[in-house]
Parts: sequence; C-alpha cells; structure tokens
Amino acid sequence: MRPNIEAVLAQKPDLVLQLAGRKEASQPVEALRKLGVNVAVFHASTFAELFSVIRRVGILTGSQPQAEAMVRGLEARLARLDARFDARFNTRFATAATRPRVFFEVRSPNLLAAGQAGIVAEIIRRAGGENCVADPTKFAHVSEEEVLRLAPTAYLIQRGPMNPAPLPLDQRPRLRAIPAAATGRAWFVDEQKYSRPGPRNVDAAEELAGLLHPELKSPAPKTTTPTRKDGK
Amino acid sequence: MMTTGAGGDRADARADDRAGGRAQERDHRSAIRGAKAFWIACICAATLASGVAACGLGSFPSTPAETLRALLQAVGFGVGQPVDPALSVVVVDIRLARVVLAWLTGASLAVAGCVFQGVLRNPLADAFTLGVSGGAAFGASVAILSGLAGHAAFNGLGGGAGLLPLCALAGALLALGAVLALGRAGAGMGGMGGAMRRETLVLAGIVVSTFLSALISLLKSLDEESVASIVFWIMGSFQGRGFEHVRLAWSYMAVGLGLVLWRARELDLLALGEGQARLLGLDAGRSRLWLLIGASLLSGAAVAVSGVIGFVGLVVPHLLRLVVGAGHRTLLPASALLGGLLLLWSDVLARSILPGGAELPVGVVTALIGGPFFCLLLGRSGRMNGRGQS
Repeated sequence: MRPNIEAVLAQKPDLVLQLAGRKEASQPVEALRKLGVNVAVFHASTFAELFSVIRRVGILTGSQPQAEAMVRGLEARLARLDARFDARFNTRFATAATRPRVFFEVRSPNLLAAGQAGIVAEIIRRAGGENCVADPTKFAHVSEEEVLRLAPTAYLIQRGPMNPAPLPLDQRPRLRAIPAAATGRAWFVDEQKYSRPGPRNVDAAEELAGLLHPELKSPAPKTTTPTRKDGK
Repeated sequence: MMTTGAGGDRADARADDRAGGRAQERDHRSAIRGAKAFWIACICAATLASGVAACGLGSFPSTPAETLRALLQAVGFGVGQPVDPALSVVVVDIRLARVVLAWLTGASLAVAGCVFQGVLRNPLADAFTLGVSGGAAFGASVAILSGLAGHAAFNGLGGGAGLLPLCALAGALLALGAVLALGRAGAGMGGMGGAMRRETLVLAGIVVSTFLSALISLLKSLDEESVASIVFWIMGSFQGRGFEHVRLAWSYMAVGLGLVLWRARELDLLALGEGQARLLGLDAGRSRLWLLIGASLLSGAAVAVSGVIGFVGLVVPHLLRLVVGAGHRTLLPASALLGGLLLLWSDVLARSILPGGAELPVGVVTALIGGPFFCLLLGRSGRMNGRGQS
C-alpha cells in the first residue's frame, strides 16, 4: 500500500514508523520528514535485528522497560527452541537426522518463494528446518520445474494480502510429485505472522517447529490458533 | 483468340511462343512448388526436433536418454526401467505441455495475423496492433474478476474455467467490431468513400487498445485481491500452464484454423482489394466476416490461455511471404508451422535464460527477437521493391 500523506497528517502523529525496503514508500516518507513529522525507518530481516528494533521503539516511545521485558521473553522462547534442535542437529552424531527441506510459497500461481534474506528463512531455521530455496535475496521467482528439482519435504503456503486465494497443494497437478505432497506435509500459514517482522515471528517459529517436528512436542504453551491443514 | 488469313503465320508463331511460354511457366511453377514443399518440410522437421529437444531443457537435471524414455513412456511405449516419477512430471506435464501450448498459441497468432493482413490489406495488421488481443484480455479479465472463471483459473483450472476462452472471444470480437467501425467512420470523414486507410485502422486499433487497457486497470484497482492473478495472466507467459490449458483452447483453435483454411482462396481474392474481389464474383462482405471471425477465434483462444503476446502475428507472415509467396493456401499453413516454431523456442528461452529457475515473460522474448528481425525484413523488402518496380 502506498501511504497517503494527507491521511497520515490528518492523524497528527507524534511518530511515524516505517519498515525499510519498500522503494516506492520512501518518497512519501521524505515528504513527511519535510513537513516536520518524526519518522523512524526500521529494517528487520533477522531476529537479532527485530529485537534491536523493539528496543529502539521502546526508547522512542518512552517504554524502555516494557520493550526490554518483551525482548527477554521472546529471546527465552527462541532459546528453548534452539535447545531442542541443537541436541538434534548440531551434535557430532546427528548427521543422519537432516533438517526438513522447507519451501515457503509467498505468492501463487505466479510462484514467488521466500529466499535466504528476510526473516522467513530464519523462522524456518529456528523451527528446525532449512529453506530449500538458495536464492540470496528476500523473494525468489521460481518455476514449477524448479520446485520439483528442489524436492522440498515440507511446503508452506502463506495466506494473506500477497497470496489471497492459494490452492491447496493436492489440487495442483504438477506439484503432486514433490515429497511434501506425497507425505501430506503441506500447510497454510498466516502471512502476517510469518512475513511481517514483529513479535509474532516467534509464535511462527514455535508453530512451525510443531508442524515440522510433531514428535518433539513443544513444552511451551500454545499461544496461537492452530493453522488449518492442507485442504482446509 | 481468332486468327485470320494474312496474320496466320504470325499468329502461329505467337501460339508457339505461348506454348513455349506455358511450358516454361509450368517448369517455373513446379520449381516454385518444389521450393515451397522444401521449406515446409524443413519447418516441419525443425518443429518435431525442437519439440523433443525442448522437452530435455530446463533446470531439472535430465539426460537426453531419460527425456526420450519419459516421452515414450507417456505415449505407452515404455522402454527399460520406468523413469523417476518427478522426472516424468517435469518432462511430460511441464515441458511437453508447454511445448504443445506454445506451439498452438504461436500457430494461432501467426495465422490470425496473416488473415488480418490479407483481409484488411494492411501490412501492419495483427491481433496485437488491431486491439483484438487487448479485447480478449479485457474479456478474460472480466471473467476472472466476476468470479466466472474463479481465482483458481490459472492453477489447476477450477470450475467455470471453460468460460474463459468464450469471454476472451467475445472481447476479441467486440474490440475488432469497434476498431472496424472507428476505421470506417474515420475513412468517411476523410472522404475516402468508405474505404479504410491503413493508418486510420491502426490508429483505431491503438485507440481501442488504450481504452481497453485503461478498463483493465480500472478492474484491477476495483478488486485488489485479484490483481496478482490478472497481472500474471496478462503479461503473456506459459509459466504454470499445463495440459489443462491445451484442453481448454485447442478446440477453438482448430475451429478457427479450419474456418480460415476453408476460406483461403477467398482470402487471395480479398487481398486484391474489395472491388476486384467483387468483380471476380466474390461475396466480399460475407467472406470477410467469416475470415475475421476465424481470426478472432484464433486470437481469442490464444490470449485466453497465454495472455497477450505480440510480434508473432506480425513477423511470421511477412517473413514467409518472402519465402513461399503470397498465395494464402500455402502461406496460412506455413505461418502456422513457423509461428508455432518461433513461440516454442521463445518459451524455451524464456524459461531457461535466467539462472535459478526464474522465468521471463515470453512476450519479452518474442519482442526482443521479433523487433530487430522485423526491421531487417522491412529494410530488405524495401530494397527488393525498389529493384523490382520502376
């Protein structure tokens, strides 16, 4: 969405926060700055960056202690996840237990996948998986043939503004040959939770860990509604 | 031919000349026919070879032997070990389906272009320049947005997708009607006695195309949710298409091609000009209508499954006129063959030229190949005309 400057000014904001990385959005931001509105631009494509953003927003809004507490809580939850998978994947003897190869569909049918930059790749890693798309950018155009070559063992379809009406994997005739379709390891996930940087990304990592590794039941309380399984 | 007394000898001599001339002409004709047959055989062979080769190209690793085995297995002649199911899907359901669809689309667009050029006696006519593709795109956008064809139309083809070519066809016919009416009105104003000028028609095409693309933009902004599927669909690509799209379009294409081939001789007459065609006993209005409907069917079906792809209909018939001549009974089938071949390779390039499995819209490739080629063609035919006439 392109911000409408008039609508923003009408709210008389004390502070405007902007997510960096949208070229078309930077121009209105400059305009706001010129008009004397405080604008802070943030960029978060890893959990470390996300936590730093939360702390800085805390400083800017005068709620530093709350921000600090929030970050501590989120870090602790991530550490619990890491502990589970460190034991499984990062020991000398764990080479046989390979991480599930995850494909994250950003948009279809004009297939766009999450690449290695961006928070989705880290959510997948923290959840004990591996993003099978090696593209170093945030989004990668991928053909159906390429998906078959990548042979993901888990297929995530985000649902939200970027992918409003995706079909379940078992209704896509040409993708039925990938391992994820054969084993039924395909799920719809919430775009807001996975693709937008925010505290919800930790929920996403916990949810995904449960999906990818149902055998390691999470000791953490369930904080979110379960996603619908493939086929609704 | 009457000959009388005194002029008898001379008349005989002339008759001899004529007989000799006829024999020469026969030789010449059979030579031309031989050359035509040679070129058509070349294109056919190239098409078959390209089709098989294109099934072996792509990001999924496949050896030529595996590709052939997968293809043979798909038609029921399994040789040796059954191939890996994933490879079979890649070779048959992705690559072969795209080869077939690209070929059909290219053939349809080239034949439609050829018909538009002949009927309207306009070298710049083509489904794209006449706004017919734009009309088809608009018709199909309406179908997608109104939910007639469903959001799912381009991934697995949900229910109602069968309406897509029909809506595209309706749009194509409406656009063509509007362009012709505009062209006629423009000609009337210019005092041309109802005859359409080339430039007027192309201008009318531009006006209608622009108007329709504005309408499509309007539709897109009314329904933000469908933008992705419409943009994806309009840009002209075979990405994500499969045999379901072939099934959707082939019957329309076959009917259109049949209609046009059936009227190929009339197209020859129409190309002489409407007055000439009438003098030669042709019901010009009716045969023009049938031919235009046939060409609209072809372009509408092509747009319905592949979006808007330019240049194929413009370049292919011009190129072939240089090689097989202007007779439409040869030109039309030859256009189908070469148009199919051109789009087949354009699609192979579109899906394999970028690294990492990313794709280009095939329309970009056809424009990149077609543009310079067309300039070359224009320069050459200009020089030939300069030498031949005057």
